[in-house]
Amino acid sequence: MPIFDSYVLKSSCDEMFDREKKVKEPWKEVAQSLKSVGFEALQERQAEIDWLLEDNGVTYNVYNSIEGNTNRSWSLDPIPFVISELEWSEITKGLQQRAKLLNLILKDLYSEQKLIKENIIPAEVIFSHKGFSPEVYDFGLKKNFNLYFYATDLARGPDGKMWVINDRTQAPSGLGYAIENRLAMNVIAKELYPNIETKKLFSFLEEFKNMFKKFKLNEDSVAALLTPGPYNETYFEHSYLSSFLNIELVQGEDLLTKNGSLWLKNLGGLKRVDTLIRRVDDRYCDPLELKNSSKLGVAGLVDVMRQDNLNMINPVGSAILENIGLNPFMEKASQYFLNETLILPQIATWWCGQEKELEFVLENLDKLIIKRIDRTESVQVYFCKKMSETEKEDLKSLLLQSPNQYVAQEEISFSTVPYYADKTVEPRSATIRTFSLKSDDCYSVMSGGLVRVSSIKDALLVSSQKGGTSKDLWILGKEEKEINFVNMFENAKYSDTLINNLSTLKAENLFWLGRYLSRLITTTRFVLHIVKKMTNFYRYEGMISKESQEILQKALTHLTMTYPGFFSDENRKKLERNPMIEIASVVKDGSRAGSLSFTFSMLSNTNINLKDILAIDSTKVYEKMKKEWSGFAKKTTHSNISMANELERMLIYMLAYKGLVKESIYKEQGLILYDIGYNIESALLFISKARSILCWHVEKSVEYDILEGLLNSVESFNAYRAKYKSSLLLENVIEFLIFNRQFPKSLAYRTEELMRALKLLPKSKDSLSSYEKPMAEANLLLQSLNIKEMMKRNDNEALYFEFDNALTTLSELYIACSDEFSKTYFSHYDE
Amino acid sequence: MIYNIYHKTVFHYQSMVTFSHNITRLKPKELPHQKLLNFSMEIEPSVYESHAFIDMYGNSNKHLLIREPHQSLAVTGKSRVEVFPQIIVENIRKLKENSITYSEAIERLSKFNLEDLDAKQFLFESELIPTSSKAIQQYALESFHNERDMFEATNEFMGRIFYDFEFLSGFSDVTTPVEKIFKAKKGVCQDFAQFAISALRSIGLPAKYMSGYIETLPPEGQEKFFGVDASHAWFAVYIPNVGWAEFDPTNNIIPNGQHILLGEGRDYADIAPLKGVVQSSGSSYLSVIVDVKREEPLNKSPLEIQKNQSQSQSQMQIQTQW
Repeated sequence: MPIFDSYVLKSSCDEMFDREKKVKEPWKEVAQSLKSVGFEALQERQAEIDWLLEDNGVTYNVYNSIEGNTNRSWSLDPIPFVISELEWSEITKGLQQRAKLLNLILKDLYSEQKLIKENIIPAEVIFSHKGFSPEVYDFGLKKNFNLYFYATDLARGPDGKMWVINDRTQAPSGLGYAIENRLAMNVIAKELYPNIETKKLFSFLEEFKNMFKKFKLNEDSVAALLTPGPYNETYFEHSYLSSFLNIELVQGEDLLTKNGSLWLKNLGGLKRVDTLIRRVDDRYCDPLELKNSSKLGVAGLVDVMRQDNLNMINPVGSAILENIGLNPFMEKASQYFLNETLILPQIATWWCGQEKELEFVLENLDKLIIKRIDRTESVQVYFCKKMSETEKEDLKSLLLQSPNQYVAQEEISFSTVPYYADKTVEPRSATIRTFSLKSDDCYSVMSGGLVRVSSIKDALLVSSQKGGTSKDLWILGKEEKEINFVNMFENAKYSDTLINNLSTLKAENLFWLGRYLSRLITTTRFVLHIVKKMTNFYRYEGMISKESQEILQKALTHLTMTYPGFFSDENRKKLERNPMIEIASVVKDGSRAGSLSFTFSMLSNTNINLKDILAIDSTKVYEKMKKEWSGFAKKTTHSNISMANELERMLIYMLAYKGLVKESIYKEQGLILYDIGYNIESALLFISKARSILCWHVEKSVEYDILEGLLNSVESFNAYRAKYKSSLLLENVIEFLIFNRQFPKSLAYRTEELMRALKLLPKSKDSLSSYEKPMAEANLLLQSLNIKEMMKRNDNEALYFEFDNALTTLSELYIACSDEFSKTYFSHYDE
Repeated sequence: MIYNIYHKTVFHYQSMVTFSHNITRLKPKELPHQKLLNFSMEIEPSVYESHAFIDMYGNSNKHLLIREPHQSLAVTGKSRVEVFPQIIVENIRKLKENSITYSEAIERLSKFNLEDLDAKQFLFESELIPTSSKAIQQYALESFHNERDMFEATNEFMGRIFYDFEFLSGFSDVTTPVEKIFKAKKGVCQDFAQFAISALRSIGLPAKYMSGYIETLPPEGQEKFFGVDASHAWFAVYIPNVGWAEFDPTNNIIPNGQHILLGEGRDYADIAPLKGVVQSSGSSYLSVIVDVKREEPLNKSPLEIQKNQSQSQSQMQIQTQW
């Protein structure tokens, strides 16, 4: 079946066809190509595009999670949106004019406010809008306060012209997707549309990169893209764009402000940020001066702007330009500042704060759409045509009560464009997002853009929600310069491998990944042992005594710091009768700090922050483990045996995850941080258990049980047997788990490991650093201790006093190491 | 009249803080009827860097970065302020004399007038005072009839708040919504001020939040103890073409010399005396000590002013770390 046979024109205006269904001039080649290849080839090309985009997702580590939620919000249609060179040059002029005008408005509103004082724009339109930031009221004339980057949504109106639909100024998105779309289309275009020549994106993107170069303060200063982080659904775009533009991708936590400037925290030290492009909305950029509850910004950012020490793209305050209430006054403002009429038409808009306009709106309500003007996001919209009489009356009284809060707009149907949907081509509405960049006094417009297509066949409006489909925008014509596309990625850096450049946020997460993983595994093993013993799992060894059970249970409370736990006087009877209640709570109660569920959720936080460092396999294992864990934690009843089985299963996941973490990243990339965290946590947890289990003199039979428990909980029973063969002796276990320098799980070994690892860090010096000193001391202590001496005890005392003292000192030294280490590397204490 | 004001605000943190950004607003505003004779600020622990600036509402702000490990941050402002009651009395007389009716005010505000532009910042909802319900609007309209004189209407409106609402500390905090205050008819000075502002804005009048101090007197025959005062809040309404008129609904008085203005804004958030962001774990709380002392002896019996304490307000964000 010929490809356009079922194409029925819906709106008054279609991009490809005129009213007689003749193909319009700019589309002739595309239409010809599509007719000649037919549906089958089109389907193949679509599959190819899908694969390319999917592959990008993998490259940038945004893959479909186990639950099947996709992190990709766009798909790409193989049919482009075509615009002729001639029409585009007119549109370009219009966009340049509008960008220039908006920048002048922005600077004026945050300085002299001539527009308000001379009655060009009503004060109400500005002050009622949430995008007006009083915090930056006098920043407008600062050198760095400019609308550097600007996105405009366009759509073709009934008169055949491109109209401005929206201005996006505070954190314009979509450029990353536009680039991605173009690269994917380049791959299929050679076969599908061999005879079409289009303008390239190259020069615009080069200009973007040059802007960062121009703003560079010194060799070491950097430009960065501020993202809300991996939880955000458009994180992929942030990641893609930042690597394309060769700038740092950062979250608020990666940054700090001091000396009136913005700094990027790296393991090697602080780096000055000279340029910040952001995907965080105005009000969320600074919890100190803007929205106090924001976790996405950096405290002190507004003050850095006040000192004029940052090129912010775009400055806080630019949300005011996304105000629909400005529309009716743009023409006047253009006359005022530029002495020009607006080139690009806008949707006719009436501000109800004026008497005549309000009258008109009230009389013509049925033809209009009413919008509140005070917000940038989730603007309240009333489609009057579809409203009941009572609803309309209510709206009228709202308009009369606070007219200055509302505008009315004409309801317009925009043009449709051919869209390939599963073996048919149908007309859909579309809007174009274009991008402009300030270079000196003028703006450059990208020769291309992101086209968004309405997701439902007959929808008039293009939804901006995720899950939409997109098209590439093709501007026909020859590129003046010949460009080799391959070179576009040429100076894109490889991910920084030097540990100095590892971001502090990542480093801290790696450190805590080590600590939480160790905590999770150690605690799981210990609980597992206790549960198994209770169920008489090791049948051949007989029942464990009540006394040893109690010692192990109390050790669990110490280990997890879930006090009062097994020390509770109140619940003593209950706990003796049924210790499983407390054990189940220590395992599953996520609201209880120290429980396994709690530790698990802490591990989850670190895991997601490390998504782009860890291998995909480890993330997959993690997702699976998380799902299993939440199923397990939801079950309310357990027999001891099923609890043991489930814990055993979880333990296997944990170990698999640990193995993948260890082998998928290399030392310089941050494994060192993970190792340090893992060793410190393991040492601390071991000391906690040792103090509960080894420091008290007990009967031989009890001693056997608890020594076995300790060895099992560090998975060292077999290794111990290999060395000592003989039955369990307290002195031998102590020698093995604390002093033995050949056994990787002993304290002495871990201490040496830590000393080695700490030496490899960027701030390491010839002399001992503050965080190395405690480890050197611990090492000396371990060398000087003598087991026999240490285990002397008065007959009337159960505690091995010397031994307990030594363990306490060691524990303090590990904590001191961790604290000093955190201060130096994570708090940038001395910088 | 000269007042000596001591205002100490302390943040207490549960765990050690090594890096904190703060903004303080403790330096009283200079006005035709209020002269700042002296001002000093003490900060403990020592400040790594600080930077002063004036905000859009004309208030003095100071940005402080602390990098020394600390578990509490204490900021003390000491001011010596001279208030000129004659100027205030004269202002009030002019306001009364030139005041216009409510409908005249609304009519004028709907037009462009250069003199009214600044006041229009205070017409709209703000962070702590969102657009109010119909019920609150109705409450305001009971005093504001079309032909009613603005000054008289506001005076009556203030009186109604004073009699309808119960002063009760502990019921509310800085986050308590105005609607809840209105329903319960309970609160402290800042609740009454914010309620009044909300109601006035709902009927189209610009209204602003006034933050400062008021002199309180001990019960007869007793000596006044140091630090028993509190920071105070009241409101001002804009009478177009005439100016801002201040009212104190907590005490049902038109401020005429006992009020010392610290600063003003759309609501409390614009003029909170201390706010900050720290990286720490655990919670924090705020304690406040305020003392207001008049230098010259009283020559006539002052207005009976209830010792109405405002609650301690904490504007602190703790960014949790593991």
